[in-house]
Amino acid sequence: MINHFVPKTLKEALDILSEHDCYIFAGGTDLMVQKHKSSGLLPAFDKDILYVMNLKELDYIKVDSQNNLHIGGISRFCELINSPLVPDIFKTVFLEIASPNIRNTATLVGNIANASPAGDSIVPLNLFNASVVLQSKRGTRTVLVQDFIQGVKKIDREKDELITEVIVPPADLKFYYKKVGSRKAETITKVSLMGGYKVEGGKVKDLRICFGSISTKVVKNHWIEEKYTGISTNELRARIDDIINEYDHEIRPITDQRSTKEYRTVVAKNLLRDFLRQVK
Amino acid sequence: MKKFDTSVTKVDNEEKMAGLAIFTGDIRMDNAYFAINVRSEKAHAKLKGIEVPKLPKNYYFISAKDIVKENVVNIIASDWPVFADKKVNYIGETIGLIIGPDKEKCIDLSKQVKGIYEDLEPVFDMRNSYVHKEFTKGDVSLFKDAAKVFSEEFTTGYQEQIYLEPQAMLMYLENDQIVVKASMQCPFYIHKAICRTLGVTEDKVRVIQPAVGGAFGGKEHYPSLMAAQLATAIVKIKKPIKMFFDRREDITYTTKRHPSKTEISAYMDKKDNIIGVKIHVGIDGGAYIGCSMVVLSRALIAATNTYTFPNVAISGDAYCTNKVPSAAFRGFGSPQSIFAMELFINHLADYLKVDRMALRMKYLVKTNDVTSTSGIFRDPIILEPLIEKAMEMSDYKRKVKLYSKPGSLRGIGLSMFLHGCGFTGSGESDLIKAKLRIKKDKNGIVTFYTSQVDFGQGNRTTLKRIVVDTLGIPEDHVIYGAPDTNETLSTGPTAASRTIIIVGGLAAKAAQHLKAIWKDGEEQEIVEPYVGPSYIKWDEATMQGDAYPGYAWGVNVVEVSVNPITYEATVEGCWSTYDVGHAIDERILLGQADGGLAQALGWAYLEKEVAEDGMFKQKALADYAIPTSMDLPPMETEIIDNPFKYGAFGAKGAGELTFVGGAPAFALALEQAIKHKVHNIPATPEYIMELMNHED
Amino acid sequence: MKISFTINNNKVTLDVDPSMRLLDVIRNELHLTGTKEGCGEGECGACTVLVKGEPVNSCLTPIINVADRDVMTIEGLRETKEYRIIADAFADRGGSQCGFCTPGMILVTYALLKKNPHPSEEEIRFALSGNLCRCTGYQAIIDAVKVASEKGIKL
Repeated sequence: MINHFVPKTLKEALDILSEHDCYIFAGGTDLMVQKHKSSGLLPAFDKDILYVMNLKELDYIKVDSQNNLHIGGISRFCELINSPLVPDIFKTVFLEIASPNIRNTATLVGNIANASPAGDSIVPLNLFNASVVLQSKRGTRTVLVQDFIQGVKKIDREKDELITEVIVPPADLKFYYKKVGSRKAETITKVSLMGGYKVEGGKVKDLRICFGSISTKVVKNHWIEEKYTGISTNELRARIDDIINEYDHEIRPITDQRSTKEYRTVVAKNLLRDFLRQVK
Repeated sequence: MKKFDTSVTKVDNEEKMAGLAIFTGDIRMDNAYFAINVRSEKAHAKLKGIEVPKLPKNYYFISAKDIVKENVVNIIASDWPVFADKKVNYIGETIGLIIGPDKEKCIDLSKQVKGIYEDLEPVFDMRNSYVHKEFTKGDVSLFKDAAKVFSEEFTTGYQEQIYLEPQAMLMYLENDQIVVKASMQCPFYIHKAICRTLGVTEDKVRVIQPAVGGAFGGKEHYPSLMAAQLATAIVKIKKPIKMFFDRREDITYTTKRHPSKTEISAYMDKKDNIIGVKIHVGIDGGAYIGCSMVVLSRALIAATNTYTFPNVAISGDAYCTNKVPSAAFRGFGSPQSIFAMELFINHLADYLKVDRMALRMKYLVKTNDVTSTSGIFRDPIILEPLIEKAMEMSDYKRKVKLYSKPGSLRGIGLSMFLHGCGFTGSGESDLIKAKLRIKKDKNGIVTFYTSQVDFGQGNRTTLKRIVVDTLGIPEDHVIYGAPDTNETLSTGPTAASRTIIIVGGLAAKAAQHLKAIWKDGEEQEIVEPYVGPSYIKWDEATMQGDAYPGYAWGVNVVEVSVNPITYEATVEGCWSTYDVGHAIDERILLGQADGGLAQALGWAYLEKEVAEDGMFKQKALADYAIPTSMDLPPMETEIIDNPFKYGAFGAKGAGELTFVGGAPAFALALEQAIKHKVHNIPATPEYIMELMNHED
Repeated sequence: MKISFTINNNKVTLDVDPSMRLLDVIRNELHLTGTKEGCGEGECGACTVLVKGEPVNSCLTPIINVADRDVMTIEGLRETKEYRIIADAFADRGGSQCGFCTPGMILVTYALLKKNPHPSEEEIRFALSGNLCRCTGYQAIIDAVKVASEKGIKL
């Protein structure tokens, strides 16, 4: 028999987590598929479940005095899409995640914690150097999303910790985003690219590049980004092939039921080229 | 928006919209046991035994050893066993059922059943033919004198029906009968399958049709397998049993459209006139033939499509592979061979350096031309107006020129096609022998019965309307319900685009006869047998003669753009014209037109189903992508009236026709957009990338 | 666990496993069979219900997540005058063929028009993009939403 915990307060939730190893159940749109057994049967959960959607304390979207966006742990995609506080580029990404019905249920934190290589929200979070806040009875810590996700389904979370918040620092950038799936809606990403850049006085002041779905986690290479920051936009465009080649060893997609290694590789590079051409 | 002056309110509209329609899964039967399939894990192996765990009380394992009379599912070839016996031939073949009152317990027990196998070499590619057919027209010895020969090969992939309601069946005992309620297309197929495997008389089985959530061919034969399995169980267990598939089980183990490989050669004389064509169509039938020989027939008969060539050699094979058997799916073989011919004739024009449309028009079929099987196209063919109209609607002539420029990344494609309505040859009069029962009570209320299932096509509405209009009595004086084999005589399966042309015609005739003998205040009943047009002569052995009682025609124009960065294709526009004889209900007909084309476009570029070592890689709706509302553009369709003298109110068939032309129109548009020839579908972005990054 | 929620304006309290799918509660416990199961994995939208007015897939929603919330199924919607307008529009355009996706489509249409009484064709296609239909090619459904919108559901 497993226990079902439905805490009403964060404190209650953290108390439970300090004593029980639980699935953290938010919107459930990933868990209910993963644990689905058959029509009419209960999902096949093999350990205790902590349901968090009643934690009103985690239901917020706000901006602090440094313009950091704080997203509460149970904020759903539909709420983020409708919030005036959320940057447009996030909305662009969110509007292409799953389907309207799923976006009315699924949470941002759930998408992060699911740690799928095809998780779309993780791409802009990486690009913005966003962090997650984890709380436990032992205390609070903040981890960059890039570090929090360690691999396929692997996250840096202790059993007693709950992700209570996502913090997105501001970024004064121009953006490029393209998600490639197998159809125009309700589709799992084959490959995606988000680019961000800032140009001042003809020079590239900031350059950020994130690939989704082409490796075990989002590819963002700080070293390459730095290398091409500070040069003029003309030089950047002249060196597009060099930049693409820099990513050769980073683009390591697989062949699966949705696409091929070859396709993902070529399209990832095409997208990068398309993005870099727009840096003006 | 168009006003539907010719349409009446669909009889099942309200119940379906309000959620009142009762589908099989909606029938409440709390005491029913659950049946869970135990499936082969091997593609090809001797089944040396089955280890069954000790079963708790009220739990059963039903397998080949429980067969009452014949271990055969009554699907045309009769080669598919109800339960695998001594041998398994595909991954997923049922070796037995676990049946009991608790579903979860059944699933757990089913996982403990172990087949003991001795591996045999499986075959997954098309090399072992189990059905071969061939025929010729004219003098094919002339091919050897050809000055030029042009040959190409085309392939098409699997397609899964994705009816929104998965397979579902409920069986129980009542009044000394086995009663079946299921999601089905053909009540009498199920009926016969049960009678045959149990060896019981017809009166011992009753099949009742609840609401059916889509079928598209996928519920033509597969429910017969489920019924034979459950019938074997119910005579032993004597409890109600239900077998409901979850979507994954449905995608992974039920029948699909046959993958195909078509080779075509054209033989030209010195002046580039076509002497004739040679066509070979291969279809992947899977582990059992089932209905594959009939699918192959249709593919072969349709292989010259809308073109008349003086000399033709056509052959084909259905191949046995260790995979899930392929079976019926809207179009039934003809979409595969017509896809090949439509592309081939365009490629041939390029090879001969002549205008594509000019070559097609030169060989365009005309009224009274000889068909590929040496029959005659007797009824007026209005292809030219259909083509003209479709060109006008789509601005084809301007666009085809515009998009021919290098780097256009946009293309427009036009397909023309035909579909033979009804069963092949004399099948209607010799095999189906439909009989329609119509009766009238003392108060003048008329009830008529058919075995036609309305799984969305609107035939409950249209058939009723045929009777109402023929009798000239108020609509509420005519009763027409869903089939129930206790009441209904077989008017045949709901398949082959035969419902309106054949059964509609029969219903009209029955109503006319009733009208002729109508006596107020009396009970009257008529059983009207189908009588085919006398001119139909068909020899199945030689594939010679008139293959179908009538043909429906169509033209599709599809416009496509391609993203050069991601190689994704977007359908930008669709325009269609059809000759379905006379459209009795335009709204219903447009529903078929839009739906058929949408499904065809899915097959053309989105829906990829690949088997690897005998197992499908795409097992869920998340991986098998059918079109969403965002993937399709607005569709425009025009119907041109051309009444057919043997159909009810001039109607021919329409259900399958609307599927046939989508893929070639798409592929032709794609070719123009990317300036490379297409030979295979689905044309996924992965394939388009290959084409764009390689020279032809 | 005892869980209370409102279904079609009626408050119910059930003693069920909190992880039970809302879909199974609706169909098997409450015997409201207008909500259909087409895939059980959140892909097809046949099991769409409204939770606090928003369409969700009931196959992915555990019953605990609707505790103390309002759920509406087609059985509730069909009692409203807005339903009549939408249903008439579907009938007019031929928006329902096999009918298995139809209750879900109608619920999504209702939710859309309530938020956005005059959606563009693109907005309609977007709103319906999680509800699969294999019969109509969507055109008739989209036209039906337009007709319902023109009829001016004052929502």
